[in-house]
Amino acid sequence: MARPNNGRLAQHVNNMREYSQIAGTAQIARRYLAMNAFDGVLTTIGVLMGSYLGGVRDAAIVIRTGVATSIAMGVSGLWGAYLTEAAERQRELTELENTMLTDLARTKIGRASRLAVVVVAVVDGLAPFIAALTVLIPLFASPLIGNILIGYALSLAVALLSLFGLGLFLGHISGRSLVGYGLRTLIAGLVSIALSILVGGVEH
Amino acid sequence: MGNLRRLVLDVLKPLEPSIVELVQLLADLEGVDGVNISIYEIDRRVENAKVTIEGHNLIYDAVAHVIEENGGAIHSVDEVAAGKLLIEDVITPQD
Repeated sequence: MARPNNGRLAQHVNNMREYSQIAGTAQIARRYLAMNAFDGVLTTIGVLMGSYLGGVRDAAIVIRTGVATSIAMGVSGLWGAYLTEAAERQRELTELENTMLTDLARTKIGRASRLAVVVVAVVDGLAPFIAALTVLIPLFASPLIGNILIGYALSLAVALLSLFGLGLFLGHISGRSLVGYGLRTLIAGLVSIALSILVGGVEH
Repeated sequence: MGNLRRLVLDVLKPLEPSIVELVQLLADLEGVDGVNISIYEIDRRVENAKVTIEGHNLIYDAVAHVIEENGGAIHSVDEVAAGKLLIEDVITPQD
């Protein structure tokens, strides 16, 4: 076979690509990435709206709440995905082993399965964590801006922009209208903000 | 010991990695001149493959290792040929 020998790194990349193909890692990781980044942004919108409507005007409090929430989402994603994915993958491997009547743990298939669990768990943990922190960036800068209300507004703008970006990503995956998907995810953010104002308004 | 020139194996393998991948990995082995894999039965998770390998000096253990590493199981060795010449199966009146 005419396979170029570009050293160990290239071999490693080739192996990763092959494992990903065997275990279908890329599709699942992509799904988790979009789904959990979406979760992360919307949850942070909740934190922002709750803080704003609750009269919090100290950026440090909102940042601490937001960061703690993003850490919790990250840990939840990592743990949850690791446990569920490991269980599902083990089941699939066991079923295949039963059909083959061989132990596949030490084969390429076993390694691909184990790698998929780790990759999916990391993606599932990092996606909401990074998405949430991205939304909070303007609040980190609010001491420089001088007005926390501008910080809130900018954070919400970043959140809506992130949602639109996620929509574009999904549109790109589906091969359909980018703007159509972007608007759909954007609307989810607007609905979340509107409902928060409605519920907040009722409580006041 | 005479050099192994042909191996015909009956292999049960998972659908992934595909035979496209497997055939190239086997062809990469030292002493291999050519490989053919044909599928004669396919199931939901696995497929039965007839693997024919020819070369000037095949190493059976290396072939078996590649197949097993890719999740396959060798069910039987159906034909082998070794030596200076590649001798085909001879049809006799009994056949």
